[in-house]
Amino acid sequence: MEMIIAGLLDSIAPASLMFIFVGVAIGVLIGAIPGINGPMAIALFIPVTYYMSPLTAIGFLVGLNKGAFFGGAVSAVLLRTPGTPEAAATSWDGYPLTQQGKGEKALRMALYSSVAGDFISTLVLILIAAPLAAVALFMGPAEIFALISLALTVIAGIGTNSIGRGLMAAGFGIMVGLIGTEPVTALPRLTFDIYQLGGGLSLIPVAIGLLAFSEILLQLEKFTVKGGGEHTIHVFSSKLKDRMLSVKEFFASTKTMLRGSLIGIGVGAMPGLGAPVASFMSYDQAMKRSKHKEEFGKGRLEGVAASESANSAVVAASMIPLFVLGIPGNLAVAMLMGAFMIHGMQPGPLLFIENAQFMYGVYGSLLVASLFLLVIGRFGLRFFCKAVNIPAMILYPIVVFTCIMGSYLGQSSMFDVGVMLAFGFIGYYMRKFDFSYVAFLIGFILAPEWERALQQVVIISEFDTFMFFQRPVAMGLMALTLFVIARTFWVGINKGRKKQLVEEAAAEAGQHKSD
Amino acid sequence: MTRIKRDAIAYLVIAGFSILMLTWGIPTYTPEYPGYGASPALVPNVSVGVILFMACLSLLRIGVASYMNKSISADESEFPEDMGESAGFTQVGRVKLRHLFSTMIPCILLVVAIEYIAYIFVSFIFLMIFQYVIGNRKWIQSIVVSVALTAVLYIVMRYGFGVPVPGPQLF
Repeated sequence: MEMIIAGLLDSIAPASLMFIFVGVAIGVLIGAIPGINGPMAIALFIPVTYYMSPLTAIGFLVGLNKGAFFGGAVSAVLLRTPGTPEAAATSWDGYPLTQQGKGEKALRMALYSSVAGDFISTLVLILIAAPLAAVALFMGPAEIFALISLALTVIAGIGTNSIGRGLMAAGFGIMVGLIGTEPVTALPRLTFDIYQLGGGLSLIPVAIGLLAFSEILLQLEKFTVKGGGEHTIHVFSSKLKDRMLSVKEFFASTKTMLRGSLIGIGVGAMPGLGAPVASFMSYDQAMKRSKHKEEFGKGRLEGVAASESANSAVVAASMIPLFVLGIPGNLAVAMLMGAFMIHGMQPGPLLFIENAQFMYGVYGSLLVASLFLLVIGRFGLRFFCKAVNIPAMILYPIVVFTCIMGSYLGQSSMFDVGVMLAFGFIGYYMRKFDFSYVAFLIGFILAPEWERALQQVVIISEFDTFMFFQRPVAMGLMALTLFVIARTFWVGINKGRKKQLVEEAAAEAGQHKSD
Repeated sequence: MTRIKRDAIAYLVIAGFSILMLTWGIPTYTPEYPGYGASPALVPNVSVGVILFMACLSLLRIGVASYMNKSISADESEFPEDMGESAGFTQVGRVKLRHLFSTMIPCILLVVAIEYIAYIFVSFIFLMIFQYVIGNRKWIQSIVVSVALTAVLYIVMRYGFGVPVPGPQLF
């Protein structure tokens, strides 16, 4: 009990409060800018957290992530350009509301739904993570190895249309993650005689290059190739009933919000699905269960509530696999996992034993961040709406220069800036060829832990290859991994066949017609 | 070039890279087996092996489809300018080499030059060139952005974090 109180008190220390507040504010601002999302913001700001205490750093990054999730709704509602992929469903009803002059009302609904989803999800995380982590403590290296194998397989499907390309990306990520000192011999491995690689590649330049710099390279195509891409913003109505959300309107959507939150929690707790899946599922359910189905897509507040409550609920729920098993469920959490590791902590069930006070501090920070999101969103809404109008000609040089200096800041090394540029280049090609950089990054982060677990299994079992068969949980997880791979290939083959049959049938029908 | 041809070339390059790693990179730059635990080359070999296997499988799929003279799917047989977002993360489309190099070269020059010339000058020149490359022809705006950004980051790094800026120190 003392630990809980001490942890919660840590989270409301002035420095923590200040950085959580700043994190949420920056997150909303960044999320509102089309093309910049939460994981990218975390990658850019991790170097800054080097100079903070671990709790302040995690609180700041959690606030940043929460803020960015809501910020994504701002550009989705105002421009129909979702700032983040998960806000796409928000734009379906949010943008028509903006066209009717009710943009501010839509944003208020997005805010309240986001806060509701986020708050419920945080409570669930607090209630179930520690008990589940206690169970997870019984897992040995064999189970951990099998679990990471499963996670890598599931995650290989994120961010690409082909699991084959996802597996290639994950394999490449693992290979790059193994560069540095080999854990058993303590000798350099895969360093190609470059002494700076002796300690391995740092997460910061790799993440900034893949997430932020490559994204900017893509977005700049609009300017250097197509010649500009400015946007116009719709004007808000001055009528109070078009601007404010009435109590009746709010309560009419509470059921949708609650359903969306539960969907978000369910999806977020499962590694590999991510917030876009949650928001689309929730929107679909809201539409199916509504008495006014025909109004969806034309500016219905319930549509905004469904999407936003679900995608915000994913934020805290996706930390369940991180805290319980030490496995990141999505990209934003993978970046948070990197931040934990940079501050000397290995996320997983042991955190609740070794750093219990810190963990309760993180819980406190999550709750405080929800509260700040409500306050900042409520009073700063009009200001954040202006963020979508920042001219790209000013924004992109700022982001590029921040990428360069952010990479340097981590270890005060220009070598890291070179690494960032190299991974920006690789990331650009990965995106153009549909290779998942998400799978790459998660493979990169998990590779050392995966290898460590394998080494432990081999050493403990004294080369007994039947070790996995003696551990039922590990065996089950390995079987599940094989099942996931087989099923994905089977679905892929069937999809290809179906497509071919449809094309053949269409061609045949065309021939009959011409005959 | 169709998307299938481009993918085939990509898989060939990946397969070639994997073979190079398996035959030269990993054996040369991995410590010898110490006699206990798993070999230090095991996980790198497995990860590169997976890459090689998947690349070969994808090549085989493309080869079989070409041999049977059937397109795998309509969207893969032609290559529009931009395929748009796929799964929300990638931006499948044509690689714009001219754009890529015009954006990357100032950044690479910055990394090289900053070792010899003071941060303030190099950063200012880099930002001016970069804004010109992306099409900003408003000179006053370019100068203001360059000066402000250079100064703000200098102050943040030097006085905020206590980290020396890269390159020779002027003051």
